[in-house]
Amino acid sequence: MTAKAKAKKSYLDICQRCIKKAVRLGAEWCDVSAGAGRDISVTIEKTGIKTADAGQGEDLAIRVFVRGGMGYASVSGRERRDIDEAVERAVALAKEATPDPDFKRLPSPQPAPQVEGLFDDRIAGMSVEDVVRIAVSNIEAAKAMEPEVNLSGHVGLTVGEGALASSTGVALEVRGTEIDANIEALLKRGDDKGYFYDFDFGRNLADTAPEKVSESAILGARRFLGARRIHSGRMTLVLGPLAAYGLLGGIVGAANAESIQRGRSYLCNKLGERIAGEHLTIVDDGLVPRGARSGAHDGEGTRRRRLVIVDRGRLVSLLHNSYTAGKAGAESTGHGTHGGGISPTNLRPALGTKTAAELIREVKEGIYLESGEIRPDPASGDVSASIDFGFYVKDGQIQFPVESAMLGGTILELLPRLDAVSSDAREEPGILMPTLRIQDVQIAGTE
Amino acid sequence: MEALAQHICDMAKRRGAAFADVRIMHRRGESILVQDGRADKLSAHTDRGIGVRVLVGRCWGFASADSLQKRRAEQCLSDALALARASQEFVSDPAMIAAAQGVRAEDRRTAEIPSAAMPVHEKIARLLEYERAGRAAGNDAIVNSIVSYSDGEREEVLANTAGALVKTTVGRAVLTCVMVASDGKLLQRGMEHRGIVGGAELLRRTSVEELGLSATRKALAMLKARPAPAGRFTVIFHPSITGLLVHEALGHNAEADAVWAGQSLLEGRLGETLAAPCVSIYDDSVLAGEFGSYAYDSEGTPGRRRTIIEKGKLVGFLHSLETAAKFGAEPTGSARADSYESRPIVRMSNTFMARGTVPFDQMLRGIDRGIYLMDGHWGYVFVQKGQFICHAGQARMIDSGKLGEPLRDVSISSMTLDTLKKIDAVGDDFEMKMPGMCGKEGQSAPTDAGGPHVRVADVVVGGQHCD
Repeated sequence: MTAKAKAKKSYLDICQRCIKKAVRLGAEWCDVSAGAGRDISVTIEKTGIKTADAGQGEDLAIRVFVRGGMGYASVSGRERRDIDEAVERAVALAKEATPDPDFKRLPSPQPAPQVEGLFDDRIAGMSVEDVVRIAVSNIEAAKAMEPEVNLSGHVGLTVGEGALASSTGVALEVRGTEIDANIEALLKRGDDKGYFYDFDFGRNLADTAPEKVSESAILGARRFLGARRIHSGRMTLVLGPLAAYGLLGGIVGAANAESIQRGRSYLCNKLGERIAGEHLTIVDDGLVPRGARSGAHDGEGTRRRRLVIVDRGRLVSLLHNSYTAGKAGAESTGHGTHGGGISPTNLRPALGTKTAAELIREVKEGIYLESGEIRPDPASGDVSASIDFGFYVKDGQIQFPVESAMLGGTILELLPRLDAVSSDAREEPGILMPTLRIQDVQIAGTE
Repeated sequence: MEALAQHICDMAKRRGAAFADVRIMHRRGESILVQDGRADKLSAHTDRGIGVRVLVGRCWGFASADSLQKRRAEQCLSDALALARASQEFVSDPAMIAAAQGVRAEDRRTAEIPSAAMPVHEKIARLLEYERAGRAAGNDAIVNSIVSYSDGEREEVLANTAGALVKTTVGRAVLTCVMVASDGKLLQRGMEHRGIVGGAELLRRTSVEELGLSATRKALAMLKARPAPAGRFTVIFHPSITGLLVHEALGHNAEADAVWAGQSLLEGRLGETLAAPCVSIYDDSVLAGEFGSYAYDSEGTPGRRRTIIEKGKLVGFLHSLETAAKFGAEPTGSARADSYESRPIVRMSNTFMARGTVPFDQMLRGIDRGIYLMDGHWGYVFVQKGQFICHAGQARMIDSGKLGEPLRDVSISSMTLDTLKKIDAVGDDFEMKMPGMCGKEGQSAPTDAGGPHVRVADVVVGGQHCD
């Protein structure tokens, strides 16, 4: 047995030892996750290397249920005394929690095929010098394009392994890698400033080009030079891939079964109803090989799956963990986190028939939002958002970047006016990011 | 812990570091979530570890580990030295460090009622009291109620090669209530939030009236509010929005690391008049009991009051040891690290605008049609663009100098320097109740913010219809 295999086995052993202890102390249901991670991060500032950081650590988290009441404890390191204290604390807290008849059970073991491509030996074997080289490539490419650019950001990698076990017999071992680069470019032309960012990430080195991120960040920064004010009015809103992905993430977040069951989501009572234009179909797929948020199981040990959440504008599924599924008499959709939350995985909206460029060409007057948060209030669905990185569009042409403008509405009024999803999309590992178009949106300008 | 920190510093000097500091930290805390009449989730956390930062030649290196074993700590030092050396030739802006004062001190800001001194069942009972009162006041309109509480303590030992050895212990507690109300068609939220340096005394000090009842009243009021209009308005900021303004719009720009990196709109503007003369803005880390307070920063520099804007003129930035050296300024005790796994970076503490002289009624009288923004929820800033965004949970129209109908969910976006210049009245009141966790470079720091009411001409409001 290799040293690595021994280490992996030991996390499962630690989890199972904790479960035995917790049950002995009175836990009725219990699950434990434990693992180790190490990371390297190189920070870029003023178009040079600022610092190189590294960290490594182990952690353990235990969740205990007594009469449905939940106690949870987490601890760093692997000192046995600390871990034992965490187990005792979780059991004690579960006994103090209010009994909850809505809790039914933790998931039973659910064998599932491994999802390929979540661990890359090349990333795991990278040294700090390798990461520095990627950062330097970004810096050199940036200087060649724009000698006066102010580049900042970071390049980093994470390597992790761990285990999940439960009192129901779940016993899983996982490991993963990720590399990412986030670069910001600031250009100054007199008093004018152009600023933008870009990123790249992946579970495998072959899926990424982290050394090329500064080029796209600079191209973006150039586009945002010369921002101007616009007038107020009702206009078409075209959401570029980054802005669209943020909006879709918000919708899927609101389809969280706990928020619906608790009555606090703007999607309450909307299951089965049309909430958006028929062009919108959103799929959550946690099984995409090499996907950023892929895995064979969720944080509770439930098998992940491909789930259609919005089908041609109709809300057809909610995201469940074991608790909300038990309460609803439904099956968990494999979106549980170990702490008891619910989280989406890889979003893959269905693509349309026209390219993003064609969607823009059809706009008489509007805004192209390249990036920016359209964050609806999770209860009311009201939207009041800044156009952080947007362009004014007139007669099918992008005219100039926009300064000091906002958009407003309610999400359940905006989504039915979504009239197109692009046929082309930005792709990141496991994730599809098309362009979306929404008609008749209130824009507030300052001209 | 002190001996280990000192040992690593001594070793760093012997191995060629021009400067090194070692932070050993132990954090522990508990939290309780009460929801819909039940104590739903009770949790506890504890972690401890070491972070070692070294300056070698022109570059920093930093490494951390979740163990206090001597062998792991020494490995951290070796890693940090190797990391700094690997980057030497690619540094464009050589690292520097101000002459550290070699402070040797101990400061304990522990709770009046430490977490363990109040039994969990007593805390739960108090949270249920808040919740029940809020629910009762809602007359069946409340569909979801959440009251959450957490408290914890952080012990830190900081040693550096300049001779500093600072031990600090600080406790913090946070209490939040969210009520969601429905009229059958619309859902609206009301929120109250409190945070202190201290512990479970927060539960004794905070009344049912100011937490549960107030959150419910806000949610019910919002059910009757109409969507905000879109466009440009004269606005009055409630102190919580003033807090967002001074924190997001100005404070982040006054962090000297952003200034030095050429990303702040305040670069090269020291000594200039950037705001109306009625505006003075401070950051103060030694205010007793405030959520953002501390005695020593994560580099061992004593905390203090820092003046950023005085009567409209930009007079200072917030500094770490490094930015102080680069600017030739005094360190201001503004370097904070959120854990042993993080490097200290320049952060705010309690940031506020000083009280002015204008009564609220007088402020209103000058406005024909405007908006009164209340209940600051969140904000963010692009320091590079000089733009900030604030979200108000509640608002009121102002018509002919009087408060009018309630408005819901209003965000504003503005350019920082424009806004500071357009402040034409600063209120004679003051409130600092925006305790929260401020995010920067992946780290979060407890901060607070506030000030008086202020009036600002010509602000863009992101509403749902044209007025």
